[in-house]
Amino acid sequence: MFQPHRNSNPRNSFDLLRVPLVGTLLRQKHARTLLQIPLFLISIAMILHGLFGPQLAPQNLATTYTWLHFRGALVFVLLLAGNFFCLACPFMLVRNLARKFFHPVRNWPRRLRNKWFSLGLFVTMLFLYEWLDLWASPWWTAWLIVAYFAGALLIDAVFKHATFCKFVCPIGQFNFVAATASPLEVAVRDTAVCAGCSTKDCIRGVREPATPLVSIQRGCELALFQPRKVGNVDCTFCLDCVQACPHDNVGIISRVPAAELTIDPMRSGLGIFSRRKDLAALVIVFTFGALLNAFGMVSPVYALENWVARVSGVEREFPVLAFIFGLFLVAEPLLLIGVAAWLTRIWGGTRKPMVAVAVRYSYVLAPLGFGIWLAHYGFHFLTGLYTIVPVTQAALGGQPHWGTPGLAPNVVQIFEFGFVFLGLLGSLLVSYSIAFAEKVDRPSRIFAVWAIVALIITAGALLLMSQPMEMRAVTLGVG
Amino acid sequence: MQLCAEARAVAGSSCLIALCLCLLVVQGCRPARETLPALKLTHEVSPQPPRVGHVRVTLKLTDSSGKPITRAGLSIEGYMSHPGMKPIAASVAESEPGSYVSEIDLAMAGDWVFIVHIQLPGQVSVDRQFEIKGVLPA
Repeated sequence: MFQPHRNSNPRNSFDLLRVPLVGTLLRQKHARTLLQIPLFLISIAMILHGLFGPQLAPQNLATTYTWLHFRGALVFVLLLAGNFFCLACPFMLVRNLARKFFHPVRNWPRRLRNKWFSLGLFVTMLFLYEWLDLWASPWWTAWLIVAYFAGALLIDAVFKHATFCKFVCPIGQFNFVAATASPLEVAVRDTAVCAGCSTKDCIRGVREPATPLVSIQRGCELALFQPRKVGNVDCTFCLDCVQACPHDNVGIISRVPAAELTIDPMRSGLGIFSRRKDLAALVIVFTFGALLNAFGMVSPVYALENWVARVSGVEREFPVLAFIFGLFLVAEPLLLIGVAAWLTRIWGGTRKPMVAVAVRYSYVLAPLGFGIWLAHYGFHFLTGLYTIVPVTQAALGGQPHWGTPGLAPNVVQIFEFGFVFLGLLGSLLVSYSIAFAEKVDRPSRIFAVWAIVALIITAGALLLMSQPMEMRAVTLGVG
Repeated sequence: MQLCAEARAVAGSSCLIALCLCLLVVQGCRPARETLPALKLTHEVSPQPPRVGHVRVTLKLTDSSGKPITRAGLSIEGYMSHPGMKPIAASVAESEPGSYVSEIDLAMAGDWVFIVHIQLPGQVSVDRQFEIKGVLPA
């Protein structure tokens, strides 16, 4: 069984903040702003080009940067490091500037302090992506970026703390789940130092000694108290805790990817995973949404859409797409996870209620879901990597030089399969660890049940990725 | 006091957002249309339905009165609807007065968008666009 690092030997852990240059840069007070400014400027260029530039997706910065390079770079950074895109989030730059003038006093409503609302937005995003063919529309892509800026600004102008990041932002939720498989975590270097700390600045922030109402350094706005923080969920890598800690005891520390999913302690700002149905649902949608998003790019989706349209007599895309979403995001998970939870009870000898079993073991799927996203986004990123050059040249008014767009698709397909298998391996290890950590009679049977679930999803992903890609919008009645 | 501060925050951020949106809308949210000479371009693709591989595109170019436009210089650029693909370029030859033919190799299934660059005899150049949707795998 593999266990998370949790400061077992802090001196031997790799700490990014101790690395010369990179660590020095990240420890600077305005490091986040420095990283946000370039992304903010690029976002503005994307909005302007999306609205006023050529409305052909492959020629436009908004569509090319967003759906190829941003998404691809995002998943690779999550795989190789951690949630650094939230650190450099340009939406937060505007929000932080606005917070210089606005000082919200209201708390996010208690009944919304969970992931259900953001989960709904995440599903909405996936749906809009297919329905509006966002990947083919610079116009809609630009407005989507505007909507993110507006949402972050408005929500955090009204509500205290990092409400937008924690409870609203769909990209953030994606990053939080994916980052469970990341090798780096913002964590305490030595728990003994925290035990002797009386100020708790990492959560409370630092106040001006003479005027205690004036904050000179924020503590964690996502309510993650470092000594009791476990894992990457809800952590935006904002490094406020690093700045606030008077003992220089917070680092960006290496760990075993996905190991945080194998344990079930009380987590600061999150509670206990096995009691968080909303978080489990987010992991499920994250995983099956990965399949659905990849399914939208291959030939069989059109056959299915046309079949649904023919059988139902519905010619409009919205209800047909809604049916397919229901199939992938509700029916399929209910069936697979429901049967697996039932088998866990009758074969594995656990006495927990079925829903509790389903919730606990849903987290098993996070690495596999991430592997599928990685395979899909990685494919577009690697096969279209160099298109950033001609598209930028054209946007700057120059003559675009279209060379090789990226790596050859048949080469990238090997990586695709590798990422899916990597995700499968992670899920198998997590399910093994959870099953054998539980006080049950037959843990090997429980492991076998959830391994089969992971294998079924893997088979689906590999089948999808073997299909010829067909990049088109839905036209019911065609093909 | 708290309510007042909150109202200011909401009003302030709303005004900021509204101002940005207004600027975008006032500027005209779609790219400005160029003033084009009155000409009509129609296209035919064979075989039907189009599949990955070789297709023949026949373009018919006429003026506003329906009279064929001859001796125009045409070239074609083809893009997948999804970003990340290299565009294809193809030459176009006039096969009969006002009728132009291009042989194109479609590399991938899906939706294709083609831009036709037209150099009219009077040195006026215009671009026209057409789509070939739902190209099937080979």
